[in-house]
Amino acid sequence: MALYALLIAGALEALVPVLWILSGSLQSAEQLYKGTDPIPHPFEWGNFATAWNEGGFSQYLPNSLLYTTASVVGILVIASMAGYALARIEFPGRGVVVGAILVIMIIPLPASFIAQYKLLITLGLANTRIGYILVLIAGGLPISILIMRGFFAGQPKELEEAAAIDGASLLGTFWRIILPLARPGLVAVAVIQAMGVWNEYLMGLVLFNDSSLMPVQRGLTNFVSAESPQQQILLAASLIAVLPIVVFYAVAQRHIISGLSAGALK
Amino acid sequence: MLAAGVFLAPALAMIAMFTVVPFVQGILLSFQSWDGVSPDAPYVGLANYRFVLHDTEFLGSMKNAVVFGVVGLVVANAVSLVMALAVHRARRGAAFFRTVYYLPGVFSTVVVGVMFAWFLDPKIGVVNQTLKAVGLDGLQHNWLGDPKTVLIAVAVVFVWYHWGFGFILFLAGRQDVPQELYEAASLDGARGWAQFRYVTWPSMSHVTGIVSVLTLLSGLQIFGTVQVLTNGGPAGHTEVPTLDIYQQAFQFSEYGRAAAMSVIFGVCLIVLACVQLWVSRRLGGSTGSRAEKGS
Repeated sequence: MALYALLIAGALEALVPVLWILSGSLQSAEQLYKGTDPIPHPFEWGNFATAWNEGGFSQYLPNSLLYTTASVVGILVIASMAGYALARIEFPGRGVVVGAILVIMIIPLPASFIAQYKLLITLGLANTRIGYILVLIAGGLPISILIMRGFFAGQPKELEEAAAIDGASLLGTFWRIILPLARPGLVAVAVIQAMGVWNEYLMGLVLFNDSSLMPVQRGLTNFVSAESPQQQILLAASLIAVLPIVVFYAVAQRHIISGLSAGALK
Repeated sequence: MLAAGVFLAPALAMIAMFTVVPFVQGILLSFQSWDGVSPDAPYVGLANYRFVLHDTEFLGSMKNAVVFGVVGLVVANAVSLVMALAVHRARRGAAFFRTVYYLPGVFSTVVVGVMFAWFLDPKIGVVNQTLKAVGLDGLQHNWLGDPKTVLIAVAVVFVWYHWGFGFILFLAGRQDVPQELYEAASLDGARGWAQFRYVTWPSMSHVTGIVSVLTLLSGLQIFGTVQVLTNGGPAGHTEVPTLDIYQQAFQFSEYGRAAAMSVIFGVCLIVLACVQLWVSRRLGGSTGSRAEKGS
Protein backbone atom coordinates (compact mmCIF):
# COMPACT_ATOMS: atom_id res chain seq x y z
CA MET A 1 0.00 0.00 0.00
CA ALA A 2 2.77 2.39 0.99
CA LEU A 3 4.54 1.35 -2.18
CA TYR A 4 1.64 2.40 -4.36
CA ALA A 5 1.13 5.61 -2.42
CA LEU A 6 4.72 6.49 -3.29
CA LEU A 7 4.37 5.44 -6.93
CA ILE A 8 1.19 7.46 -7.38
CA ALA A 9 2.70 10.49 -5.65
CA GLY A 10 5.59 10.28 -8.12
CA ALA A 11 3.21 10.04 -11.06
CA LEU A 12 1.24 13.08 -9.86
CA GLU A 13 4.45 15.04 -9.36
CA ALA A 14 5.44 14.33 -12.96
CA LEU A 15 2.00 14.69 -14.55
CA VAL A 16 0.26 17.55 -12.75
CA PRO A 17 2.50 20.31 -14.16
CA VAL A 18 2.02 18.88 -17.66
CA LEU A 19 -1.76 18.71 -17.27
CA TRP A 20 -1.79 22.21 -15.86
CA ILE A 21 -0.05 23.52 -18.95
CA LEU A 22 -2.54 21.72 -21.12
CA SER A 23 -5.41 23.26 -19.16
CA GLY A 24 -3.85 26.73 -19.26
CA SER A 25 -3.29 26.52 -23.00
CA LEU A 26 -7.04 25.96 -23.50
CA GLN A 27 -8.30 28.77 -21.28
CA SER A 28 -9.43 32.22 -22.23
CA ALA A 29 -7.25 35.15 -21.17
CA GLU A 30 -9.81 36.27 -18.55
CA GLN A 31 -10.00 32.84 -16.93
CA LEU A 32 -6.24 32.36 -16.94
CA TYR A 33 -5.47 35.74 -15.43
CA LYS A 34 -8.24 35.47 -12.84
CA GLY A 35 -8.18 32.20 -11.04
CA THR A 36 -7.19 28.65 -10.36
CA ASP A 37 -10.08 26.78 -11.95
CA PRO A 38 -8.29 24.00 -13.81
CA ILE A 39 -11.19 23.19 -16.16
CA PRO A 40 -11.22 25.50 -19.17
CA HIS A 41 -14.64 27.05 -19.81
CA PRO A 42 -15.12 27.39 -22.62
CA PHE A 43 -12.37 25.37 -24.30
CA GLU A 44 -10.42 27.89 -26.36
CA TRP A 45 -9.10 25.64 -29.11
CA GLY A 46 -8.40 28.81 -31.05
CA ASN A 47 -5.35 29.43 -28.81
CA PHE A 48 -3.50 26.77 -30.75
CA ALA A 49 -4.38 28.29 -34.11
CA THR A 50 -3.28 31.70 -32.84
CA ALA A 51 -0.02 30.27 -31.49
CA TRP A 52 0.59 28.37 -34.71
CA ASN A 53 0.10 31.47 -36.89
CA GLU A 54 1.74 34.12 -34.73
CA GLY A 55 4.52 31.83 -33.56
CA GLY A 56 5.68 30.97 -37.07
CA PHE A 57 5.50 27.23 -36.43
CA SER A 58 4.82 26.49 -40.08
CA GLN A 59 8.49 27.44 -40.53
CA TYR A 60 10.05 26.15 -37.33
CA LEU A 61 8.52 22.67 -37.28
CA PRO A 62 9.64 21.70 -40.81
CA ASN A 63 13.07 23.13 -39.99
CA SER A 64 13.37 20.97 -36.88
CA LEU A 65 12.12 17.97 -38.81
CA LEU A 66 14.81 18.53 -41.43
CA TYR A 67 17.60 19.08 -38.86
CA THR A 68 16.58 16.03 -36.87
CA THR A 69 16.28 13.72 -39.86
CA ALA A 70 19.45 14.87 -41.57
CA SER A 71 21.63 14.74 -38.49
CA VAL A 72 20.28 11.40 -37.26
CA VAL A 73 20.85 9.81 -40.68
CA GLY A 74 24.34 11.29 -40.81
CA ILE A 75 25.15 10.05 -37.32
CA LEU A 76 23.83 6.54 -38.07
CA VAL A 77 25.88 6.13 -41.25
CA ILE A 78 29.12 7.56 -39.91
CA ALA A 79 28.91 6.07 -36.40
CA SER A 80 27.99 2.58 -37.56
CA MET A 81 30.96 2.46 -39.97
CA ALA A 82 33.35 3.71 -37.29
CA GLY A 83 31.85 1.46 -34.62
CA TYR A 84 32.25 -1.53 -36.90
CA ALA A 85 35.90 -0.75 -37.63
CA LEU A 86 36.62 -0.33 -33.91
CA ALA A 87 34.86 -3.58 -33.00
CA ARG A 88 35.91 -5.86 -35.84
CA ILE A 89 38.90 -4.71 -37.87
CA GLU A 90 42.31 -5.34 -36.32
CA PHE A 91 44.67 -2.44 -36.85
CA PRO A 92 47.49 -0.86 -34.88
CA GLY A 93 46.36 2.05 -32.73
CA ARG A 94 42.80 0.84 -32.32
CA GLY A 95 42.93 1.23 -28.56
CA VAL A 96 44.27 4.76 -28.96
CA VAL A 97 41.34 5.73 -31.19
CA VAL A 98 38.81 4.34 -28.70
CA GLY A 99 40.56 6.15 -25.85
CA ALA A 100 40.61 9.41 -27.83
CA ILE A 101 36.88 9.16 -28.50
CA LEU A 102 36.24 8.64 -24.78
CA VAL A 103 38.32 11.72 -23.97
CA ILE A 104 36.57 13.84 -26.63
CA MET A 105 33.23 12.78 -25.24
CA ILE A 106 34.15 14.47 -21.95
CA ILE A 107 34.69 17.88 -23.63
CA PRO A 108 31.60 19.79 -22.55
CA LEU A 109 29.68 22.03 -24.94
CA PRO A 110 30.15 25.14 -22.76
CA ALA A 111 33.88 24.72 -23.29
CA SER A 112 33.67 24.82 -27.07
CA PHE A 113 30.53 26.54 -28.38
CA ILE A 114 32.13 29.99 -28.69
CA ALA A 115 34.97 28.56 -30.75
CA GLN A 116 32.56 26.44 -32.80
CA TYR A 117 30.69 29.61 -33.65
CA LYS A 118 33.93 31.30 -34.71
CA LEU A 119 34.92 28.30 -36.81
CA LEU A 120 31.58 28.29 -38.63
CA ILE A 121 31.95 32.00 -39.38
CA THR A 122 35.40 31.29 -40.84
CA LEU A 123 33.93 28.51 -42.96
CA GLY A 124 31.02 30.71 -44.03
CA LEU A 125 28.63 28.25 -42.39
CA ALA A 126 27.20 30.36 -39.55
CA ASN A 127 23.48 31.01 -39.99
CA THR A 128 23.20 28.14 -42.51
CA ARG A 129 21.31 24.86 -42.36
CA ILE A 130 24.32 22.78 -43.33
CA GLY A 131 26.50 24.37 -40.63
CA TYR A 132 24.00 23.52 -37.92
CA ILE A 133 23.58 19.95 -39.20
CA LEU A 134 27.36 19.38 -39.32
CA VAL A 135 27.74 20.59 -35.73
CA LEU A 136 24.89 18.34 -34.59
CA ILE A 137 26.39 15.31 -36.33
CA ALA A 138 29.83 15.91 -34.85
CA GLY A 139 28.33 16.37 -31.39
CA GLY A 140 26.36 13.12 -31.55
CA LEU A 141 29.13 10.96 -32.99
CA PRO A 142 31.32 9.94 -30.02
CA ILE A 143 28.59 8.34 -27.88
CA SER A 144 26.95 6.80 -30.97
CA ILE A 145 30.23 5.27 -32.12
CA LEU A 146 30.73 3.67 -28.72
CA ILE A 147 27.17 2.28 -28.66
CA MET A 148 27.55 0.82 -32.15
CA ARG A 149 30.94 -0.63 -31.30
CA GLY A 150 29.33 -2.40 -28.35
CA PHE A 151 26.64 -3.91 -30.58
CA PHE A 152 29.04 -5.09 -33.27
CA ALA A 153 31.35 -6.61 -30.67
CA GLY A 154 28.44 -8.71 -29.42
CA GLN A 155 27.55 -10.14 -32.83
CA PRO A 156 28.76 -13.55 -34.04
CA LYS A 157 31.64 -13.43 -36.51
CA GLU A 158 30.55 -16.40 -38.62
CA LEU A 159 28.34 -14.44 -41.00
CA GLU A 160 31.10 -12.09 -42.00
CA GLU A 161 33.49 -14.98 -42.50
CA ALA A 162 30.97 -16.76 -44.71
CA ALA A 163 30.44 -13.62 -46.74
CA ALA A 164 34.19 -13.12 -47.07
CA ILE A 165 34.57 -16.67 -48.41
CA ASP A 166 31.84 -15.91 -50.96
CA GLY A 167 34.06 -13.08 -52.17
CA ALA A 168 31.89 -10.17 -51.07
CA SER A 169 33.79 -6.93 -50.48
CA LEU A 170 34.07 -5.65 -46.94
CA LEU A 171 31.92 -2.61 -47.69
CA GLY A 172 29.31 -4.76 -49.44
CA THR A 173 29.22 -7.22 -46.54
CA PHE A 174 28.85 -4.36 -44.14
CA TRP A 175 25.90 -2.77 -45.90
CA ARG A 176 24.02 -5.94 -46.82
CA ILE A 177 24.73 -8.30 -43.93
CA ILE A 178 26.23 -6.62 -40.89
CA LEU A 179 24.14 -3.47 -40.74
CA PRO A 180 20.69 -5.08 -40.99
CA LEU A 181 21.64 -7.32 -38.05
CA ALA A 182 22.63 -4.30 -35.99
CA ARG A 183 19.11 -2.88 -36.07
CA PRO A 184 18.63 -2.77 -32.29
CA GLY A 185 21.79 -0.71 -31.96
CA LEU A 186 20.79 1.60 -34.80
CA VAL A 187 17.35 2.12 -33.26
CA ALA A 188 18.87 2.91 -29.85
CA VAL A 189 21.22 5.48 -31.38
CA ALA A 190 18.49 6.96 -33.58
CA VAL A 191 15.99 7.52 -30.79
CA ILE A 192 18.33 9.11 -28.28
CA GLN A 193 19.89 11.31 -30.93
CA ALA A 194 16.51 12.31 -32.35
CA MET A 195 15.36 13.47 -28.91
CA GLY A 196 18.62 15.28 -28.28
CA VAL A 197 18.53 17.09 -31.61
CA TRP A 198 14.86 18.03 -31.40
CA ASN A 199 15.44 19.62 -28.00
CA GLU A 200 18.83 21.15 -28.82
CA TYR A 201 18.86 24.81 -27.92
CA LEU A 202 22.30 26.34 -27.37
CA MET A 203 23.80 25.91 -30.85
CA GLY A 204 20.52 26.86 -32.49
CA LEU A 205 20.54 30.03 -30.40
CA VAL A 206 24.13 30.86 -31.28
CA LEU A 207 24.16 30.01 -34.98
CA PHE A 208 20.92 31.47 -36.34
CA ASN A 209 19.92 35.11 -36.84
CA ASP A 210 17.58 34.34 -39.66
CA SER A 211 14.23 33.26 -38.21
CA SER A 212 13.31 31.33 -41.37
CA LEU A 213 16.15 28.89 -40.56
CA MET A 214 15.56 28.46 -36.82
CA PRO A 215 14.68 25.12 -35.24
CA VAL A 216 11.57 25.01 -33.09
CA GLN A 217 13.13 25.52 -29.64
CA ARG A 218 14.97 28.59 -30.87
CA GLY A 219 11.81 29.70 -32.66
CA LEU A 220 9.88 29.50 -29.41
CA THR A 221 12.23 31.90 -27.61
CA ASN A 222 12.23 34.11 -30.68
CA PHE A 223 8.44 34.24 -30.45
CA VAL A 224 8.61 35.18 -26.76
CA SER A 225 11.07 38.02 -27.25
CA ALA A 226 9.69 39.36 -30.52
CA GLU A 227 5.94 39.21 -29.86
CA SER A 228 5.61 38.90 -26.06
CA PRO A 229 2.48 36.77 -26.53
CA GLN A 230 -0.27 36.41 -23.94
CA GLN A 231 0.29 33.61 -21.44
CA GLN A 232 -2.28 31.17 -22.82
CA ILE A 233 -0.91 31.62 -26.36
CA LEU A 234 2.63 31.04 -25.10
CA LEU A 235 1.52 27.85 -23.34
CA ALA A 236 -0.15 26.62 -26.52
CA ALA A 237 3.01 27.47 -28.46
CA SER A 238 5.22 25.51 -26.07
CA LEU A 239 2.91 22.52 -26.34
CA ILE A 240 3.17 22.71 -30.13
CA ALA A 241 6.96 22.65 -29.71
CA VAL A 242 6.88 19.49 -27.55
CA LEU A 243 3.98 17.64 -29.14
CA PRO A 244 6.01 15.91 -31.89
CA ILE A 245 8.58 14.61 -29.40
CA VAL A 246 5.91 13.50 -26.92
CA VAL A 247 4.17 11.53 -29.68
CA PHE A 248 7.54 10.08 -30.66
CA TYR A 249 8.15 9.14 -27.01
CA ALA A 250 4.74 7.48 -26.76
CA VAL A 251 5.43 5.39 -29.86
CA ALA A 252 9.09 4.58 -29.26
CA GLN A 253 9.33 4.71 -25.47
CA ARG A 254 10.56 1.14 -25.11
CA HIS A 255 13.46 1.90 -27.46
CA ILE A 256 14.11 5.28 -25.87
CA ILE A 257 14.43 3.74 -22.44
CA SER A 258 16.70 0.93 -23.61
CA GLY A 259 18.65 3.39 -25.76
CA LEU A 260 19.27 5.71 -22.82
CA SER A 261 20.49 2.82 -20.70
CA ALA A 262 22.68 1.50 -23.52
CA GLY A 263 24.13 4.95 -24.13
CA ALA A 264 24.94 5.69 -20.52
CA LEU A 265 25.71 2.34 -18.97
CA LYS A 266 27.58 0.41 -21.67
CA MET B 1 44.36 -1.46 -42.30
CA LEU B 2 43.11 0.29 -45.43
CA ALA B 3 39.61 -0.92 -44.68
CA ALA B 4 39.78 0.45 -41.15
CA GLY B 5 40.86 3.78 -42.60
CA VAL B 6 37.92 3.90 -45.00
CA PHE B 7 35.43 3.03 -42.25
CA LEU B 8 36.87 5.44 -39.73
CA ALA B 9 37.72 8.40 -41.96
CA PRO B 10 34.32 10.15 -42.00
CA ALA B 11 33.94 9.93 -38.22
CA LEU B 12 37.47 11.08 -37.47
CA ALA B 13 37.23 13.92 -39.99
CA MET B 14 33.97 15.19 -38.51
CA ILE B 15 35.14 14.96 -34.92
CA ALA B 16 38.49 16.57 -35.72
CA MET B 17 36.93 19.39 -37.71
CA PHE B 18 34.00 20.33 -35.51
CA THR B 19 35.08 19.25 -32.02
CA VAL B 20 38.85 19.07 -31.69
CA VAL B 21 39.74 22.09 -33.86
CA PRO B 22 37.23 24.39 -32.09
CA PHE B 23 38.43 23.15 -28.71
CA VAL B 24 42.02 24.10 -29.56
CA GLN B 25 40.90 27.34 -31.23
CA GLY B 26 38.93 28.16 -28.11
CA ILE B 27 42.10 27.93 -26.05
CA LEU B 28 43.89 30.25 -28.51
CA LEU B 29 40.92 32.63 -28.53
CA SER B 30 41.11 32.92 -24.75
CA PHE B 31 44.44 34.75 -25.24
CA GLN B 32 42.99 37.03 -27.92
CA SER B 33 40.63 39.95 -28.08
CA TRP B 34 37.81 39.54 -30.59
CA ASP B 35 34.56 41.45 -31.01
CA GLY B 36 32.83 38.85 -33.16
CA VAL B 37 32.95 40.90 -36.35
CA SER B 38 36.39 42.26 -37.19
CA PRO B 39 38.74 40.07 -39.21
CA ASP B 40 41.67 40.38 -36.81
CA ALA B 41 41.86 39.28 -33.21
CA PRO B 42 45.04 40.59 -31.53
CA TYR B 43 46.78 38.57 -28.84
CA VAL B 44 46.41 40.11 -25.40
CA GLY B 45 48.32 37.65 -23.26
CA LEU B 46 46.65 36.83 -19.97
CA ALA B 47 44.39 39.90 -19.93
CA ASN B 48 41.21 37.88 -20.44
CA TYR B 49 42.07 35.52 -17.62
CA ARG B 50 42.96 38.42 -15.32
CA PHE B 51 39.57 39.96 -16.04
CA VAL B 52 37.60 36.76 -15.67
CA LEU B 53 39.25 35.69 -12.43
CA HIS B 54 38.34 39.04 -10.88
CA ASP B 55 34.83 39.06 -12.34
CA THR B 56 32.48 38.57 -9.39
CA GLU B 57 29.60 37.70 -11.73
CA PHE B 58 31.54 34.81 -13.24
CA LEU B 59 32.79 33.57 -9.88
CA GLY B 60 29.24 33.80 -8.54
CA SER B 61 27.99 31.85 -11.55
CA MET B 62 30.45 29.06 -10.78
CA LYS B 63 29.11 28.96 -7.22
CA ASN B 64 25.52 28.74 -8.49
CA ALA B 65 26.50 25.94 -10.86
CA VAL B 66 27.87 24.05 -7.87
CA VAL B 67 24.51 24.50 -6.12
CA PHE B 68 22.64 23.04 -9.09
CA GLY B 69 25.16 20.25 -9.44
CA VAL B 70 25.00 19.30 -5.76
CA VAL B 71 21.20 19.54 -5.58
CA GLY B 72 21.02 17.31 -8.65
CA LEU B 73 23.55 14.91 -7.23
CA VAL B 74 21.89 14.59 -3.82
CA VAL B 75 18.18 15.34 -4.24
CA ALA B 76 17.47 14.28 -7.82
CA ASN B 77 19.56 11.13 -7.49
CA ALA B 78 17.94 10.16 -4.20
CA VAL B 79 14.48 10.56 -5.76
CA SER B 80 15.62 8.63 -8.86
CA LEU B 81 16.98 5.74 -6.83
CA VAL B 82 14.00 5.44 -4.48
CA MET B 83 11.52 5.56 -7.35
CA ALA B 84 13.52 3.03 -9.38
CA LEU B 85 13.53 0.57 -6.48
CA ALA B 86 9.81 1.19 -5.97
CA VAL B 87 8.95 0.58 -9.63
CA HIS B 88 11.09 -2.54 -9.62
CA ARG B 89 9.01 -3.92 -6.75
CA ALA B 90 5.66 -2.97 -8.26
CA ARG B 91 3.73 -5.98 -9.52
CA ARG B 92 1.26 -3.95 -11.53
CA GLY B 93 1.55 -0.75 -13.49
CA ALA B 94 5.35 -0.73 -13.67
CA ALA B 95 5.28 0.16 -17.38
CA PHE B 96 2.86 3.02 -16.74
CA PHE B 97 4.92 4.53 -13.94
CA ARG B 98 8.13 4.15 -15.93
CA THR B 99 6.60 5.98 -18.89
CA VAL B 100 5.18 8.79 -16.77
CA TYR B 101 8.35 9.35 -14.74
CA TYR B 102 10.46 9.95 -17.79
CA LEU B 103 7.85 12.18 -19.50
CA PRO B 104 9.30 15.49 -18.15
CA GLY B 105 12.67 14.39 -19.53
CA VAL B 106 11.45 14.53 -23.13
CA PHE B 107 10.56 18.21 -22.78
CA SER B 108 13.07 20.77 -23.96
CA THR B 109 14.82 23.09 -21.49
CA VAL B 110 13.06 26.04 -23.12
CA VAL B 111 9.60 24.57 -22.66
CA VAL B 112 10.36 23.65 -19.05
CA GLY B 113 11.40 27.25 -18.53
CA VAL B 114 8.17 28.59 -20.05
CA MET B 115 6.07 26.21 -17.95
CA PHE B 116 7.60 27.06 -14.61
CA ALA B 117 7.87 30.77 -15.34
CA TRP B 118 4.07 30.65 -15.44
CA PHE B 119 3.65 28.44 -12.35
CA LEU B 120 5.91 30.70 -10.30
CA ASP B 121 4.65 34.04 -11.60
CA PRO B 122 3.85 36.29 -8.61
CA LYS B 123 0.39 37.35 -9.86
CA ILE B 124 -1.04 34.83 -12.30
CA GLY B 125 1.12 31.86 -11.27
CA VAL B 126 -0.56 28.65 -10.21
CA VAL B 127 1.55 28.36 -7.06
CA ASN B 128 0.51 31.71 -5.62
CA GLN B 129 -3.07 31.39 -6.86
CA THR B 130 -3.39 28.05 -5.12
CA LEU B 131 -1.95 29.41 -1.89
CA LYS B 132 -4.53 32.18 -2.04
CA ALA B 133 -7.38 29.81 -2.82
CA VAL B 134 -6.64 27.68 0.25
CA GLY B 135 -6.31 30.72 2.49
CA LEU B 136 -2.53 30.73 2.83
CA ASP B 137 -2.12 34.22 1.37
CA GLY B 138 0.74 34.83 3.78
CA LEU B 139 2.89 32.26 2.00
CA GLN B 140 2.50 33.92 -1.40
CA HIS B 141 5.82 34.98 -2.72
CA ASN B 142 7.61 36.42 -5.71
CA TRP B 143 9.53 33.16 -6.07
CA LEU B 144 11.67 34.17 -9.04
CA GLY B 145 12.01 37.83 -8.09
CA ASP B 146 13.36 37.44 -4.56
CA PRO B 147 17.10 36.71 -4.30
CA LYS B 148 16.38 34.55 -1.23
CA THR B 149 14.10 32.08 -3.00
CA VAL B 150 15.09 32.24 -6.65
CA LEU B 151 18.00 29.80 -6.53
CA ILE B 152 15.95 27.20 -4.65
CA ALA B 153 13.02 27.68 -7.03
CA VAL B 154 15.20 27.07 -10.08
CA ALA B 155 16.84 24.08 -8.38
CA VAL B 156 13.40 22.55 -7.73
CA VAL B 157 12.58 22.98 -11.42
CA PHE B 158 15.86 21.28 -12.33
CA VAL B 159 15.05 18.31 -10.07
CA TRP B 160 11.54 18.01 -11.54
CA TYR B 161 12.99 18.02 -15.05
CA HIS B 162 15.92 15.74 -14.44
CA TRP B 163 15.14 12.95 -12.00
CA GLY B 164 13.42 10.75 -14.61
CA PHE B 165 16.72 10.28 -16.41
CA GLY B 166 18.54 8.90 -13.37
CA PHE B 167 15.45 6.84 -12.62
CA ILE B 168 15.67 5.06 -15.99
CA LEU B 169 19.33 4.20 -15.44
CA PHE B 170 18.84 3.06 -11.85
CA LEU B 171 15.92 0.88 -12.94
CA ALA B 172 18.04 -0.75 -15.66
CA GLY B 173 20.82 -1.24 -13.10
CA ARG B 174 18.46 -2.78 -10.54
CA GLN B 175 17.12 -5.21 -13.12
CA ASP B 176 20.67 -6.42 -13.77
CA VAL B 177 21.30 -7.41 -10.13
CA PRO B 178 21.09 -11.21 -10.06
CA GLN B 179 18.17 -12.57 -8.02
CA GLU B 180 20.43 -15.23 -6.43
CA LEU B 181 22.20 -12.52 -4.43
CA TYR B 182 18.91 -11.69 -2.70
CA GLU B 183 18.11 -15.34 -2.10
CA ALA B 184 21.52 -15.88 -0.53
CA ALA B 185 21.14 -12.72 1.56
CA SER B 186 17.73 -13.73 2.88
CA LEU B 187 19.12 -17.15 3.83
CA ASP B 188 21.61 -15.19 5.92
CA GLY B 189 18.69 -13.39 7.53
CA ALA B 190 19.12 -10.06 5.70
CA ARG B 191 15.86 -8.13 5.29
CA GLY B 192 14.79 -4.69 4.16
CA TRP B 193 17.52 -2.20 4.93
CA ALA B 194 20.23 -4.86 5.30
CA GLN B 195 19.40 -6.22 1.83
CA PHE B 196 19.64 -2.75 0.40
CA ARG B 197 22.87 -1.98 2.27
CA TYR B 198 24.70 -5.24 1.51
CA VAL B 199 23.22 -6.37 -1.81
CA THR B 200 21.46 -3.61 -3.79
CA TRP B 201 23.77 -0.69 -3.05
CA PRO B 202 27.11 -2.45 -3.72
CA SER B 203 25.75 -4.26 -6.78
CA MET B 204 24.58 -0.99 -8.28
CA SER B 205 27.69 1.07 -7.51
CA HIS B 206 28.70 1.10 -11.18
CA VAL B 207 25.34 2.59 -12.20
CA THR B 208 25.37 4.99 -9.25
CA GLY B 209 28.78 6.26 -10.35
CA ILE B 210 27.62 6.92 -13.90
CA VAL B 211 24.33 8.51 -12.89
CA SER B 212 26.19 10.73 -10.41
CA VAL B 213 28.62 11.98 -13.05
CA LEU B 214 25.88 12.65 -15.59
CA THR B 215 23.58 14.43 -13.12
CA LEU B 216 26.38 16.50 -11.67
CA LEU B 217 27.58 17.53 -15.13
CA SER B 218 24.13 18.45 -16.36
CA GLY B 219 23.47 20.47 -13.20
CA LEU B 220 26.71 22.36 -13.67
CA GLN B 221 25.94 23.00 -17.36
CA ILE B 222 22.31 24.11 -16.86
CA PHE B 223 21.46 26.79 -19.42
CA GLY B 224 18.15 26.92 -21.30
CA THR B 225 15.91 26.59 -18.25
CA VAL B 226 17.74 29.35 -16.39
CA GLN B 227 17.82 31.61 -19.43
CA VAL B 228 14.07 31.39 -19.89
CA LEU B 229 13.12 31.44 -16.18
CA THR B 230 15.33 34.24 -14.87
CA ASN B 231 18.01 35.07 -17.46
CA GLY B 232 20.44 34.90 -14.53
CA GLY B 233 18.55 37.41 -12.40
CA PRO B 234 17.57 39.00 -10.19
CA ALA B 235 20.91 40.82 -10.08
CA GLY B 236 22.94 37.76 -11.03
CA HIS B 237 21.57 35.54 -8.28
CA THR B 238 20.95 32.67 -10.70
CA GLU B 239 23.74 33.43 -13.16
CA VAL B 240 25.34 30.19 -14.34
CA PRO B 241 28.59 29.77 -16.30
CA THR B 242 27.14 28.69 -19.65
CA LEU B 243 24.74 31.66 -19.61
CA ASP B 244 27.53 34.00 -18.53
CA ILE B 245 29.75 32.77 -21.38
CA TYR B 246 26.89 33.26 -23.83
CA GLN B 247 26.16 36.78 -22.57
CA GLN B 248 29.83 37.78 -22.52
CA ALA B 249 30.13 36.79 -26.18
CA PHE B 250 26.80 37.58 -27.76
CA GLN B 251 25.64 40.54 -25.68
CA PHE B 252 28.91 42.25 -24.78
CA SER B 253 30.90 41.09 -27.85
CA GLU B 254 33.82 40.06 -25.63
CA TYR B 255 34.57 36.75 -27.31
CA GLY B 256 38.07 36.49 -25.85
CA ARG B 257 36.75 36.78 -22.30
CA ALA B 258 34.00 34.33 -23.11
CA ALA B 259 36.62 31.89 -24.40
CA ALA B 260 38.69 32.32 -21.22
CA MET B 261 35.58 31.53 -19.16
CA SER B 262 34.98 28.50 -21.39
CA VAL B 263 38.49 27.23 -20.78
CA ILE B 264 38.31 27.69 -17.00
CA PHE B 265 34.84 26.18 -16.73
CA GLY B 266 35.63 23.41 -19.21
CA VAL B 267 38.77 22.38 -17.34
CA CYS B 268 36.78 22.24 -14.08
CA LEU B 269 34.14 20.03 -15.70
CA ILE B 270 36.67 17.68 -17.25
CA VAL B 271 38.65 17.32 -14.02
CA LEU B 272 35.44 16.71 -12.05
CA ALA B 273 34.23 14.07 -14.48
CA CYS B 274 37.57 12.26 -14.31
CA VAL B 275 37.77 12.42 -10.51
CA GLN B 276 34.24 11.20 -10.06
CA LEU B 277 34.62 8.33 -12.51
CA TRP B 278 37.85 7.34 -10.81
CA VAL B 279 36.29 7.46 -7.35
CA SER B 280 33.23 5.48 -8.34
CA ARG B 281 35.44 2.93 -10.06
CA ARG B 282 37.48 2.54 -6.87
CA LEU B 283 34.34 2.22 -4.78
CA GLY B 284 32.82 -0.04 -7.38
CA GLY B 285 35.53 -2.64 -6.83
CA SER B 286 34.73 -5.94 -8.52
CA THR B 287 31.39 -4.72 -9.89
CA GLY B 288 33.08 -1.84 -11.65
CA SER B 289 35.73 -3.96 -13.29
CA ARG B 290 33.18 -6.55 -14.36
CA ALA B 291 31.07 -3.91 -16.03
CA GLU B 292 34.18 -2.53 -17.72
CA LYS B 293 35.04 -5.86 -19.24
CA GLY B 294 31.47 -6.24 -20.41
CA SER B 295 31.50 -3.00 -22.34
